[in-house]
Formats: sequence, C-alpha cells, structure tokens
Amino acid sequence: MGIVWKNRQVLRMLVLRDLQGKYRNFRLGYLWSILEPLGMTFVLWFVFSILLGGRKLGEQPYFLFLSIAILPWWWFTKGIAASTRAFRGNMAPLKVSLLPTEISVIRVLLVSMADFALSLPIIVIAMIVTWTFPGPLIVLFPVAIVVQVMLMYGVGLFVASVSALVPDFARIVRIVLRAMFYLTPVLYSIANIPVGARDISALNPLVSILGLYRIGFWPTETEGAAPLAIGLGVTAAFTIVGVMTFRRLEPRILKEA
Amino acid sequence: MARIGIEPGLLSAVEFDGVSLSMPRSKRRGGQGTRHRIRRLAGESSRQQVPVLTDLSTSIQPGESVAILGGAKSGRHEFLRLAAGTLIADSGRVRRQARVVPIIDDSRCLTAAYTTRQNIYLTAGLLGMTPGETAQRLDWIVEMAQAGKWLDTYLRGAPRNLRQRLVWTISMATEARIFVIEKSLVVGHGEFMERCWSHVEGLRAAGVTFLVTSDEPADLERFCDRALVLRGGKILADTSVEKGLGLVRPPLRTDPTDQPEDRDNN
Repeated sequence: MGIVWKNRQVLRMLVLRDLQGKYRNFRLGYLWSILEPLGMTFVLWFVFSILLGGRKLGEQPYFLFLSIAILPWWWFTKGIAASTRAFRGNMAPLKVSLLPTEISVIRVLLVSMADFALSLPIIVIAMIVTWTFPGPLIVLFPVAIVVQVMLMYGVGLFVASVSALVPDFARIVRIVLRAMFYLTPVLYSIANIPVGARDISALNPLVSILGLYRIGFWPTETEGAAPLAIGLGVTAAFTIVGVMTFRRLEPRILKEA
Repeated sequence: MARIGIEPGLLSAVEFDGVSLSMPRSKRRGGQGTRHRIRRLAGESSRQQVPVLTDLSTSIQPGESVAILGGAKSGRHEFLRLAAGTLIADSGRVRRQARVVPIIDDSRCLTAAYTTRQNIYLTAGLLGMTPGETAQRLDWIVEMAQAGKWLDTYLRGAPRNLRQRLVWTISMATEARIFVIEKSLVVGHGEFMERCWSHVEGLRAAGVTFLVTSDEPADLERFCDRALVLRGGKILADTSVEKGLGLVRPPLRTDPTDQPEDRDNN
C-alpha cells in the first residue's frame, strides 16, 4: 500500500480525470452514479419482491436487504471487469511510464470504488424510507469495505496481468462474474443456501464480505466466527496469489507494451 | 518497485551488468494481413522468444552523452527501455544512479480527447511529477512548446506537431539528471529545434547524462562524445562517434530516399 501513498497525488489526478471523462457527456453528470444503481436495484426489487414474491427470499425490508449487498457487489464486478482492460487497453503509457506498473490496476479499482462511495446514499435513503435502523454491529460495515479492497486488489492484479498476456481470459472473467452473481447470496439470504452447500460457499470470500455488510441489520447473516475466518483466509490467499502472479508476469507484460 | 530502482550511491550513471533479454516476436512480422494469417494457420509464426541482448555489460558515466548505434533489430530500442526501466531484463541487472527519463519519438501517451493542459499534467504524472511540481513548471512548458494558443482546447484540434513538441518539453521539465532520447533528437522545425538545441547544450554543460539514438548522423556527431555500437545482441564497439558511425554506415544512410530501411517500429 506504500505505492498508493507515495503516488497519491498522481493517482488522485488520474482517478478524477477518469471520473470526469466518464460522466462528462451526460446532462445529469455525477447524478448518474447514484441514479443508475438506484434504477437497477428497483428493477431487481420489483422482480424478486413483487413479481416473484411467493417464495421467501432474504429478509425484510427486501429493498434495504438487496441494496446493502448489491452496491458492494457492483463495485466488485465493475472493478474486476475494468481490471481486465487495465493493462491491455492501456499499453502505450507503460512504454514511458516511470510509475510502478501496478498503478494502472489501482487506478481502475479506485475509479470503481469512487462510484461505490457515490452510490452509498442509496442505503441511507432505503433506511429512512423503510424506517429500519441498524444495531451496533454496523461497525463491521467499514471492516467489510477494507476486506473487499484487499480481495479486489489481489483479484484485480491477477485478472489484469493474465488478460494482458491472454486476451481470451477477459471473456472467461465475465462469465465467471455472472455465475458468481447467482452463487453468492446477493438476491437471497445465507439461510436460503442448502445446508449441504454451506461449507463450500464459505470458501467464497464474497459470502463473508456481504455477510459483514448485512450483519448490522440482520445478525443471522453470518454463520458465526468459523466461516468468517475461512472467508478472511481465502481473501488473504487471493491477495497473495494476485500479487505473486503480477510479480512473475510483470516483465512479460512490459514486453507486450 | 524493482523496475525503476534507484541507487544514489552508484558511481556510474547507468550500469548494465550481464544483461540478457529476449522479446516475443513482433505481432506484425510475417507480411501483410492475409500472408500473416496463413502463416499463423500453418503454425509458422507462433510468438516464440527472440533473443535481443545477450550478456551485455557496460557502464555510462555521469555527464556523458552516449550514442547508441546499430541497425534495425540491433536491440538499441530495448537497450534504452532497459536503461529507463520500462523493461525488465531476463537476467543480469540494470542499475541507475538517478531517475532516467525517456523522451520518446511517438506521442501515443497523449490523449486527443483531453485538453492540452490536462495532457501536460497526465504525461508529467506518468514521468513521476506531482501535480504541484507540474503547476510550477507549467509556464515554462507552455512557453517552450509554444502551446499557449491551444492550452485549453482539446488536443484533437491542435496541430499535429504540437504533440511532439509537448512530449519533448514535458520530459525536459522533469529536470532529471539522466535522459534517454529516442530517434528524433530534436523534433519540430526551425525555431523550436534551435531552442531545443540550446537547451540540451546547456544541460550537457551542467553535467546531465544523455543516452541517444537517432537516424541523423549529423545530430549524433554534433551532440555525443561516445558511441556504443550494438550488433547481434552484443556490444560490437565502444568508440568515438565517428568510428562508430563508420561501423554502421550502411544502414544509417543520410540519403533521404533510403530512410525507411532503418525503421524498427517496435
């Protein structure tokens, strides 16, 4: 993380530039960073709560239940999807850049994180509208953010390095992300997972992370300390593997530039 | 971090210590589209590694201006990228005393969709300058690159040669002690060229180190006091500029009709 601190000014400029470029052509500008997730959440809420309301999915109020997990989830998918292009779509600067190579990945991850931060008011709105307020365990919300940053750093570095050398990998990542959306309790609650599959799902670090986001409202959303510890362990493993993969592949990525 | 490691205690400006490097064969090899596709189907042009530099050792002293000579595919481009740290050697070590700033021929790192001002900050950022430092030198950059008229217009609409002037000036604004200059020693024309020249001469007098490749023998003769001739991944000769140019004279013809021969656009 020393890299981020050392290059914080340049990074801040790059991220602001990217955000500006992203919203520049829209009439509503930055408002879209809130309107888009809000609209998408409404669609999902309408489908799964009103249209398919027969089966009990998750907890009540469902809109809050959904939005508190789906915003971090979108942060994750958008960040990882953007990482596939971090090196490949941006080779020219690598030839000249005297900044550490990782900066390209950190930059796209920070852009996705800024989008996440801008969409957080949705949760506050949902809390006020449904008049539901969290218990003391909400202090774990920032912890979840930190864990997710770690996870995304590892996965993002891995995905960016591999797809710089093998372009096909970006397609695979997209499919895997889509599959993960349904395999992770975003739309549903951890209680909806069949008991036999819970041990396997504990290996999915996002299960623990989303659990940490939700635990302030619904203490049943984590299965206790053991699966949490497994999730954190897997997160750490992902981070280490990602950093090591990048270290191994960095010379070859630079040769591609 | 290891890529651009700096050792302030090092006596030489840049030191190559048994450096070997191979590069994946260029994607564009094997002729035009169809021919290339057929060769690929036949499994002929797989992307195997081609050795570029083998066990190369040399050192460049502070204050020297060294011409890197050699024909196409002699590895001089890779040599310079290794010196700057935008490539990592397969084996051996490249050590540098201070930051080595590359001045490159092509201006692909500029973004046409941003304004000139934004491009200056971004490119300077890539070269390791903080926005604060850039702001301090902005006036100098604008003045030198004659960019005042286009400072807040999109680079898309600005004249083409402004980009080259910008890249050159922004690199110079880093006030580094070691520069790598590739291909075009001084870009642009007329007045700008002369100003670049006097600026570079001033820096040389102040003890700044330069590593240079150029297709203009006249530039090299005027500017450099030592030549490294690369051939087959090794140093063929380490001599004066005239002798070095004599060794590579055939591919480095001054006749403009023969120019395209020596373009290794990696």
